[in-house]
Amino acid sequence: MSDVSTEDRPETAQAVDLHKEFESSGVKAVLEDLDATLIGLAPVKQRIRETAALLLVERARKQMGLAHETPTLHMSFTGNPGTGKTTVALRMADLLHRLGYIRKGHLVSVTRDDLVGQYIGHTAPKTKEILKKAMGGVLFIDEAYYLYRPENERDYGQEAIEILLQVMENNRDDLVVILAGYGDRMEKFFESNPGFRSRIAHHIDFPDYSDDELFHIAELMLRDLNYTLTPAAATALKEYVALRRRQRHFANARSMRNALDRARLRQANRLFQANAGPLDAEALSAIDEPDIRASRVFRGGLDSDPEPAA
Amino acid sequence: MRITQGAFSFLPDLTDEQITKQVQYCIDNGWAVSLEFTDDPHPRNTYWEMWGHPMFDNPDAAALMYELAECRKVYGDQYIRVVAFDATHGWESVRLSFIVNRPKEEPGFRLARQEMDGRNQRYTTISYAVDKPAGSRYA
Amino acid sequence: MDGDDSKIVQGAERYKAGVLKYKQMGYWIPDYEPRDTDVIAVFRITPQDGVDPEEAAAAVAGESSTATWTVVWTDRLTATEKYRAKAYRVDQVPNAPDQYFAYIAYDLDLFEGGSIANLTASIIGNVFGFKPLKALRLEDMRLPVAYVKTFMGPATGIVVERERLDKFGRPLLGATVKPKLGLSGRNYGRVVYEALKGGLDFTKDDENINSQPFMHWRERFLYCMEAVNKAQAATGEIKGTYLNVTAGTMEDMYERAEFAKELGSNIVMIDLVIGYTAIQSMANWARKNDMILHLHRAGHSTYTRQKTHGVSFRVIAKWMRLAGVDHIHAGTVVGKLEGDPATTKGYYDICREEFNPMRLEHGLFFDQDWASLNKLMPVASGGIHAGQMHQLIHLLGEDVVLQFGGGTIGHPQGIAAGATANRVALEAMILARNEGRDYLNEGPDILAEAAKGCSPLRAALDVWKDVTFDYTSTDTPDFVPTATASM
Repeated sequence: MSDVSTEDRPETAQAVDLHKEFESSGVKAVLEDLDATLIGLAPVKQRIRETAALLLVERARKQMGLAHETPTLHMSFTGNPGTGKTTVALRMADLLHRLGYIRKGHLVSVTRDDLVGQYIGHTAPKTKEILKKAMGGVLFIDEAYYLYRPENERDYGQEAIEILLQVMENNRDDLVVILAGYGDRMEKFFESNPGFRSRIAHHIDFPDYSDDELFHIAELMLRDLNYTLTPAAATALKEYVALRRRQRHFANARSMRNALDRARLRQANRLFQANAGPLDAEALSAIDEPDIRASRVFRGGLDSDPEPAA
Repeated sequence: MRITQGAFSFLPDLTDEQITKQVQYCIDNGWAVSLEFTDDPHPRNTYWEMWGHPMFDNPDAAALMYELAECRKVYGDQYIRVVAFDATHGWESVRLSFIVNRPKEEPGFRLARQEMDGRNQRYTTISYAVDKPAGSRYA
Repeated sequence: MDGDDSKIVQGAERYKAGVLKYKQMGYWIPDYEPRDTDVIAVFRITPQDGVDPEEAAAAVAGESSTATWTVVWTDRLTATEKYRAKAYRVDQVPNAPDQYFAYIAYDLDLFEGGSIANLTASIIGNVFGFKPLKALRLEDMRLPVAYVKTFMGPATGIVVERERLDKFGRPLLGATVKPKLGLSGRNYGRVVYEALKGGLDFTKDDENINSQPFMHWRERFLYCMEAVNKAQAATGEIKGTYLNVTAGTMEDMYERAEFAKELGSNIVMIDLVIGYTAIQSMANWARKNDMILHLHRAGHSTYTRQKTHGVSFRVIAKWMRLAGVDHIHAGTVVGKLEGDPATTKGYYDICREEFNPMRLEHGLFFDQDWASLNKLMPVASGGIHAGQMHQLIHLLGEDVVLQFGGGTIGHPQGIAAGATANRVALEAMILARNEGRDYLNEGPDILAEAAKGCSPLRAALDVWKDVTFDYTSTDTPDFVPTATASM
């Protein structure tokens, strides 16, 4: 091979500085941003760093003529609701775009209803529409296992699965598919649909957040909305986190978001009913203990109250 | 005979890579791209059959190329063109149109003349292809 | 004539028999704020030695509106303040100490709607011969929307023309049949057929091809339409030829236009010298008969070219957009006829934009809202060839007819080969531009690549590679110094 001159292969790079590429491609910035803005998720971040490194090396190998095929980039994100799968998918799309694996870097997030039709002949166009929209970017299918309903032989989901598999194989340059959902159900889904398993190269598991992490996430959410917690409210919220986790429909960060939405509602009502004259910015921003403690989570949760969980 | 409608008919047939670049140019300009096909390429045959709707929401040319592959599977023996529509006020029409598929043999057109008063002629252009019934024109 | 000249004389004093300065008569109002409905004109004035520029501007305002050389008492029977044009601003022209730009506002009621003849009779009527001025040039006009709306505008417009022709995404290609004079109808049609079959979209009669001893107009029309239809069948593509219907009378022009329609032509042509009223009549006819109307600007250089006296072509272009032609020759920049790049861009802007923002560097003095009047296709014609394709597209854009007369008919391998060379060069350049290539700088390479598969283009590039017309322009914008593009 030494007699092949550079003139004959002008596109082949001779050497690569991975660290320079790491910075200049913007991958470093994405990873730093991921670290700075996402609480916890240490194992996820580690997997993403590894994936980024692999793709960076793969890209360099391609530039040197050592690799020719586009690597398989389809992924599965498993974990409970509210563990950051969609957020990380967005960052992943950005990362893949900066590395040049997808051309546009947008994320199209769908569920079964977006792909599967209601009557004969409805599903294929629907699925293709979504796939076309996602081309150049990432298609994120949440709770992907609902596509497959073995109990119904003539379920239209099967048609969507077939088109999906075909495009995942034939259009690897055009889009990346991320399948997401609960870990156990995804495992069953892959068992019944081995075509997916073989086309997915990267599995990332999203663990539940710890109590501390959830509290921290809640604080950040409030800060973004320009609210503050009084010390008593902070204590109440910590207790809330520990109680809520053991109750039904717990959804990690999403449960925190819902809890805060309700706390803001209660705060507004409290301020309105107290009718205590002019209020300053501090009063308008403070979430106080009663706003948290009024939640039925402190009274046994969903089972004790007809209201939906918060 | 090679019909020369569309923007690039005087160049060698575009490769898929070249088509992709033109389509991406259209999308990046905010135009909706679509495919149309016909077995009657008469110059006044404005309305070729639509292969689906214009794509208003697809950011990447791969979407059109995917449909082009599908369209060629069914109508690979006919004319297929890419059409890009611009909805901007003051234009609201086609911005770019070019042929991306042709039948192997292009039979072309016959010019019929009808003698009128004086030296006037009434001209009619007739596609040889339409002498055969629809569906078997390029078989 | 006593007292302070700058003071407006009013009441009975104003209308005493005698001669007042124009400023004193109220034609100079420096604090006037033009109304949205005013027509505004900017003139370049070169006053006689010793004449105050403001007085000269007031004189122009007066002479182009209500004033006469002496005071008339009958003014007092009218709402004269309204009808008086108001000079409100005078700026020294950069780098020309003896010249001034005078801004004059005219009330909308001074003009009959939908009549270029009436507009021009006021604005460029007597005033251009006025003795206190050495020279006078109408540089630009702001036409209020209220006035624009009284015109029908281009009969077809760029978008509908493209729809009718089924040609999108690239400049159209044309050629003027050469030699201009002497071909018989039969020979003339041969040129049309070869050029259209070879790849052009249009051929064109020259401005002075009407009905002469060597070729009666009906002969030309009949043979040209045979050529157009044959070329259409040979290519599967819509073709056209601008049949020049210019004639001595309106009756003759209508007769010729009707015959063109009867033969199935999609376009007819007129010359600017037929006059504004005749142009508007032909535009009405074109609108009624689904015909594209091509205007050759024959004669315009007699008054547009010199910088100090006459009417700028940008004003003619505005009048023609109102009058309703679909094509207008607007310069090539790189060809054989006058045309500074920035000034020419200004003409193209006027033809093609929905709204022209003020762009002094292109010679546009005002914002101009075209109120959804159709767009007008500019035509670039005169001394251009395939080797300049990248420059032409860069300078003139996509909505333009590029006319290669000599560059088609003079091709060493024949007319059809000349047409093919132009079309291949054009398509290759548009393809490259759309692909995002730096086509202006890589232009010669792109053409050379395309020529590998096209011997007519190769021949064209060889024959005309050194042809340029590199002279200094006479009509350049005053705000940015430029020279004619050097190739």
